[in-house]
Amino acid sequence: MLILTRKVGESIAIGDEIKVKLLEIKGGQIKLGIEAPGQIPVHREEVFERIIEENKRAAQDIGSDLSHAANFISKRDNL
Amino acid sequence: MTNTATIMNSQRTISTSRFGTIAIDDDKIINMTSPFLGFPDDKEFILLPHAPNSPFWWLQSINNPELAFVVIQPALLEVSYRPKISINIQQELQISNELDQEVLIILTIPQGHPEQMTANLLGPVVINTSKKLAKQVLLDPARYNPCQPVGTAK
Repeated sequence: MLILTRKVGESIAIGDEIKVKLLEIKGGQIKLGIEAPGQIPVHREEVFERIIEENKRAAQDIGSDLSHAANFISKRDNL
Repeated sequence: MTNTATIMNSQRTISTSRFGTIAIDDDKIINMTSPFLGFPDDKEFILLPHAPNSPFWWLQSINNPELAFVVIQPALLEVSYRPKISINIQQELQISNELDQEVLIILTIPQGHPEQMTANLLGPVVINTSKKLAKQVLLDPARYNPCQPVGTAK
């Protein structure tokens, strides 16, 4: 892991399109400003992890018959 | 000279753990412009209807027989859901006409407890239905729940 020391107001460049700026340090928290092209998603890491976890739960094999589960979709009559 | 491969063109058979071996049309295959988080190797899927008059579809991986998600159109859920899909994502999916854009929700259905099913409103699947391109999009976690309860008994 590359480790860099920065002061408030200073930045790190990742490639030539991504900039991470240290905006503020307060009470054990730091505030970062991130500039990245729109096609690069930027999220807190725990959001990615939450989606990975939910995707894995959703992918668990529950068999191919969902007809019982379909009864719990109340708007199915709109089909 | 007859070439049976060209007569049978654009069909292939895939094996699946839930549905056995099935024949699919190549032009129905959906390509992920970026893979599902947690499943980096699965880039091709196919949408299979669960059953006649069922609200569910299966999003089955072409390469991995065991990987399939249950998906549903958000209009069938008891939630109001019209997420704004950013222009960057529309460009990635080559969506130039909103009529080509379909949003599907992944459901998590606990084995034996369908009433506890939840919908991943935070990470919907956005599909360009004409170009067959798709991507799981991450929305704003302050607004959308990744496991919204949706199993309402009638």
